[in-house]
Amino acid sequence: MNPLIFTTILMTVLLGTMIVMMSSHWLMIWIGFEMNLLAIIPILMKKYNPRTMEASTKYFLTQATASMLLMMAIIINLMHSGQWTITKVFNPTASIIMTSALAMKLGLTPFHFWVPEVTQGISLTSGLILLTWQKLAPMSILYQISPSINLNILLTMAVLSILVGGWGGLNQTQLRKIMAYSSIAHMGWMTAVLVYNPTLTMLNMLIYIMMTLTMFMLFIHSSSTTTLSLSHTWNKTPLTTTLILITLLSMGGLPPLSGFMPKWMIIQELTKNNSIILPTLMAIMALLNLYFYMRLTYSTSLTMFPSTNNMKMKWQFETKRITLLPPLIVMSSLLLPLTPMLSILD
Amino acid sequence: MMTYIVFILSVIFVVSFVGFSSKPSPIYGGLVLIVSGGVGCGIIMNFGGSFLGLMVFLIYLGGMLVVFGYTTAMATEQYPEVWVSNTTVMGVFLLGLLMEVMLVLYVLKSEEVGVVFKFSGVGDWAIYDTGDSGVFSEEIMGVAALYSYGVWVVIVTGWSLLVGVLVILEVTRGD
Repeated sequence: MNPLIFTTILMTVLLGTMIVMMSSHWLMIWIGFEMNLLAIIPILMKKYNPRTMEASTKYFLTQATASMLLMMAIIINLMHSGQWTITKVFNPTASIIMTSALAMKLGLTPFHFWVPEVTQGISLTSGLILLTWQKLAPMSILYQISPSINLNILLTMAVLSILVGGWGGLNQTQLRKIMAYSSIAHMGWMTAVLVYNPTLTMLNMLIYIMMTLTMFMLFIHSSSTTTLSLSHTWNKTPLTTTLILITLLSMGGLPPLSGFMPKWMIIQELTKNNSIILPTLMAIMALLNLYFYMRLTYSTSLTMFPSTNNMKMKWQFETKRITLLPPLIVMSSLLLPLTPMLSILD
Repeated sequence: MMTYIVFILSVIFVVSFVGFSSKPSPIYGGLVLIVSGGVGCGIIMNFGGSFLGLMVFLIYLGGMLVVFGYTTAMATEQYPEVWVSNTTVMGVFLLGLLMEVMLVLYVLKSEEVGVVFKFSGVGDWAIYDTGDSGVFSEEIMGVAALYSYGVWVVIVTGWSLLVGVLVILEVTRGD
């Protein structure tokens, strides 16, 4: 793609999300979502093969439907409150429709079916943008309408997402699909605590984005998209195997790594609100996530399966230099001792 | 009939929308789009919005749809699909028509429609009458306000359209 056009379109994706996060008028928010969707389609289709086109079409259809539902919720809100300012949505019908629309944009169950298929069909860098940057805009709107969200619907979607994200990722060997199911599960954790303490949603989003960025960059660095290919990184860059181990365990939520911080805070917040069964279930279902992360680390860092000699060589192009990778790795694994600093967030 | 003119126009509006969203060939879709544009213009004019209705006719039908018609005529196939040629298209069209007929009967029977929310007619654009500068209408003031208070909307919309063109060119360019 022409570099100038590519830069323009990438900047428009950023502009779309910025407009969504900054606007106080519901119509501008809708325009921001549409701008974001329109501009990310050519980024998803950077390589011209039928898989990417199919993936971009699926993404476009689901997100456009979600935008239509969002517009309907905005208009119902307008009819009942007479104003376009972003506040909590007072009418319950509009609130439910808006929550469903934003859940479709995020990839929560029962609207999660597009996430693995779209993530698998596009390149690793596009998948990175899809799973991290595109979650910011809907989450910011959910944050702003959080006082009025129907608790039953959101908690049902969250718990089902954690279950689907964990269970669905069990049978996958393709790394992009694994990351997609991991995204579904993390979105479930984020929206579970949204009604109780929205600050923790933002904390979880921040740490999730860091960890997902790290994982994707490690995959890009070793040019691997399958588990088998990832298990050959000991040959190319042995250090990366340890880093993959640490980051994956952090994603699984193990202390003393920083991925434990959001889960700990969320469970604590939920128990403060007298719901005990819910965080227990969520923690148990997060074990499913941990299982397939562990399987990745087992084949990548912990063991070297017996193989013939030609399998031991990994074909590589020139090593990509990813400048942001070391600080990201440090941040996605060592942030746990900073947890007392969360008291400033009030 | 004149008391129900908006209702009749809105029924024709929805029927033509069903007509093109059941996806016949683009030429026939453009045909019902012209009908729906004209009828939509009539609806807006019935609420007192003469300026916006004329905008629809001039810019939408006379500008954008003409360009669309020419490009579709260049790219059309030998036997374009009509509503009755393909079972799927006809089925979707009839389904849409059936839903519209049911809605029309529901509206005619009761005073207000209460499916998801209660909806009992809309108001017109207000007309202000100040003493010195005469009568001016809310609708045309809204268009003026778009360019004064709403500069940001113009910028964002203009940028979206430009990026839309870039995206479409990029997507259809191929390798």
